[in-house]
Amino acid sequence: MSPLDDLQQKLVPDTTETANKPDKKRWRLSRRGFLIGLGVTGVGLALGLRYGVPAGRLAIADSFDNAAPPGTVEGEPMTWFDVLPDNRIRLHTPKVEMGQGVHTALAQIAAEELAVRWEAIDVVHASTARGLADGLGTGGSATVSSLFVPLREAAATLREMVRAEAARQFGADVSAVTVDDGAFSANGRSLGYGEVVAARVGEWEVLEPTPALKPLSEFRFVGQSKQRVDFHDKLTGQAIYGYDARLPGMLYGAVARPSTVAGKLVSAAPGRALEQPGVVTVVAEDGFAAVVAESRAQAYAGLDAMELTWDEGRLWQQAELEEMVTVHGDRGVVVQRDGNPDAQLRDGEVIEATYRTPFAAHGQLEPQAALAEVDADSGNVKVWISTQFPDNTRDAVAEALGLSKDAVEVQPTYLGGGFGRKLSTNIAVEAARLARAAGRPVHVGWNRTEEFRNGYLRPPTHHRLRAKLDGDRIVAIEHRQASGEVAFPFSPRAFRVLLGADFGAWRGATVHYGVPNKQTVTELVKLPVATGWWRGLGLLANTFAIESFIDELAHTAGADPLDFRLRHLASDERGQRFREVLLAATAEAGWGETLPAGRALGLACSSDVKTVVAQVAEVSLENGTIHVHRVVTAMDPGLVINPDGATAQAQGAVVMGLSSTLLEDLQVQDGQIVPGNFDRYPLLRMSETPDLDVVLRNSGPEPFGVGEPPIGPVAAAVANAVFTLTGQRLRTLPLSLNARA
Amino acid sequence: MELTINQARYDVADDNPGRMLIWVIRDELGLIGTKFGCGAGICGSCTVHVDGSPMRSCVTPLQAVAGREIRTVEGLVEPQADGSLRLHPVQQAFIDEQVPQCAWCMSGQMMTAAAFLADNPAPNDDEIVAAMSGNYCRCGCYTRIKTAVARAARLSEEAS
Repeated sequence: MSPLDDLQQKLVPDTTETANKPDKKRWRLSRRGFLIGLGVTGVGLALGLRYGVPAGRLAIADSFDNAAPPGTVEGEPMTWFDVLPDNRIRLHTPKVEMGQGVHTALAQIAAEELAVRWEAIDVVHASTARGLADGLGTGGSATVSSLFVPLREAAATLREMVRAEAARQFGADVSAVTVDDGAFSANGRSLGYGEVVAARVGEWEVLEPTPALKPLSEFRFVGQSKQRVDFHDKLTGQAIYGYDARLPGMLYGAVARPSTVAGKLVSAAPGRALEQPGVVTVVAEDGFAAVVAESRAQAYAGLDAMELTWDEGRLWQQAELEEMVTVHGDRGVVVQRDGNPDAQLRDGEVIEATYRTPFAAHGQLEPQAALAEVDADSGNVKVWISTQFPDNTRDAVAEALGLSKDAVEVQPTYLGGGFGRKLSTNIAVEAARLARAAGRPVHVGWNRTEEFRNGYLRPPTHHRLRAKLDGDRIVAIEHRQASGEVAFPFSPRAFRVLLGADFGAWRGATVHYGVPNKQTVTELVKLPVATGWWRGLGLLANTFAIESFIDELAHTAGADPLDFRLRHLASDERGQRFREVLLAATAEAGWGETLPAGRALGLACSSDVKTVVAQVAEVSLENGTIHVHRVVTAMDPGLVINPDGATAQAQGAVVMGLSSTLLEDLQVQDGQIVPGNFDRYPLLRMSETPDLDVVLRNSGPEPFGVGEPPIGPVAAAVANAVFTLTGQRLRTLPLSLNARA
Repeated sequence: MELTINQARYDVADDNPGRMLIWVIRDELGLIGTKFGCGAGICGSCTVHVDGSPMRSCVTPLQAVAGREIRTVEGLVEPQADGSLRLHPVQQAFIDEQVPQCAWCMSGQMMTAAAFLADNPAPNDDEIVAAMSGNYCRCGCYTRIKTAVARAARLSEEAS
């Protein structure tokens, strides 16, 4: 089988077989089986379940763009419960908590089918050693959408298995056993989960078929603003993140890194490093030089004492990189085409505009960090790490150290922010290599300069939009965009061939309006600067271009930007949902009403993972600087699991988006990434943060995702408001009235 | 060298008194509630109290705090007469308002807020914004932080 075939089998769901034999497909015994080990081993009853990938995301371009919630397809066991002696239930999830509130949302979802109080569930990060597998990692706003059905099915199955056992213990018919608030009752007796399970230690048979799931109308916890489960530990300093992982006898590692984007280590020798205070081990290998010491500062000081020779590589300049990321117009991959846009835009009165967005850093406040321990006897490795991708991390460590995957265990910790930055695996490999070299546990935590200069960035983009109007109607529109890579640097070659275009680069790039002739073409550029995942991928940049341009067209047509958008909405279900959020956001923001003097509103909208979002920004100018007073977000993410959690995600996305809109501009000069810390790359502060209003539309029956979609329209909404206020159209991020407009 | 942190005494090596306080607190003493963000005193994640004033422990040399009272997030909780621990009003308010997302910056946010409220028990919104704008939150919890600091002021007043 070719690698391509292999990938296709993995990526594309076999829907026919799934449809015919759902339960046989869905269930499989875990590697551990279903052992009950209450008390002594603490293993509990472990229940595994296959889960699905969002099929649409991985098939052809069209289904990427209308990414449906996942089907349940081939995969490995995913979701596990432990039943605990005190009747509590522990949910192990390989989806990590990086601030999105997913541990809370997943507990709410699981509680519905377990029929326990929501508070009776503890959520923990699953170690890879539990035999789980998550081929997606935590990202793509997919945690809740991808687990919504499988998690409830697992919970319902566990509940029914325990109910059957309770019936046996009660000498009652299964149908006579009621389950309420975690208590199984019949014949005047009542037992909790842990009590039922404790009386029957051994193998359990998985119930088939999967029990029918409760209708939404019976939900007690989903839809409620439950408080976050992780805040007490986090606010008392008890929660463990990757940077906090500790073991007795641990040491600290520092790795030599190039100061230029194209730099390479040519040769390395220990030099006088071993003589430096606290230095325990020095590693000088091909392309890898590192020091392990008793403290972090001693490790970095040891690096300075090594004899390292660098090839700086080409000294790239910002202007060269921007030139590379510029739409040529004669190349690229078509990812959307309706009608005959080429013919329509060949002549006549064609409106054209170009837009540009810069490199951006993630700026997550916890730099990447990992602790690794190598077992002296077996050589097996365990890694504690703040990662968005435990499975990839395990695989990368196994490959780098020449171990089997089973010999590596990755225990995810809480993450101090992710935003796509923690989908990388190199920090775990570094810690593991150094732990093996030192023979003691080693922690590697990057400093801020390493984060800025040796990680990866959101790529710059360039956009050329062209359109033709007939009165107040768009008859044809074309979006050509150039972007650095997003998903491709992390993808096997076969995957790149299969897709043709980098879905990360053109995320949000297609035109969702009902225009008879439209096309989107993406030109991918491999830059000499590492680029990759960043919250929403291309969504913010592409939406900035499209929604600014739609605003330009509205003004050209002499139309109100809201009316213009409503008029062009597609007549499908998504168009209807767009209508609702456009109307909700503008109503809340006072669109069309009289504003205080010197203020103006701007509107933009976008769709991502089927969630639709509209935002209205209210701006003024203060001493020539754009001041954003208020951003109203109206969001329809399908079913809302936790309204306050969804609101928080929208608020946070607006803040991060505004930071890109107004401040963030990462440049390369003389081969080096200019900022080495936040002094040269400031983030948005509280004093620059506007009032943030969020209107949620709960359109059920399934959740689509809330982490990334609300970062889409922010920049365009602000730019459109600035145009209304000043008549000046700003087409470059960050927005500035003085410079590069 | 002896350090006083959260009213407990710790012996730490005095061979390199120029090393930064954050790594003494975190790596040497294991008080991991104080978080590392930038190492340059910019982001505020590492904020602790030194004699009641907020200080960036990532740019504070150990020798600068000898003989002074250090307080970290682990010392925010208030021991009660019956031996139980009560959350500091700032912690309680941050939970009540469901402030954090990832929470990496929150120790620094709360330490900054607690020191600010000790000086200014009844601040207005502008004063809160001015006091808190030196602390980054990349998850974007700023509006909730602002609300929670005001709430903490009310909680403190009610308790006193």
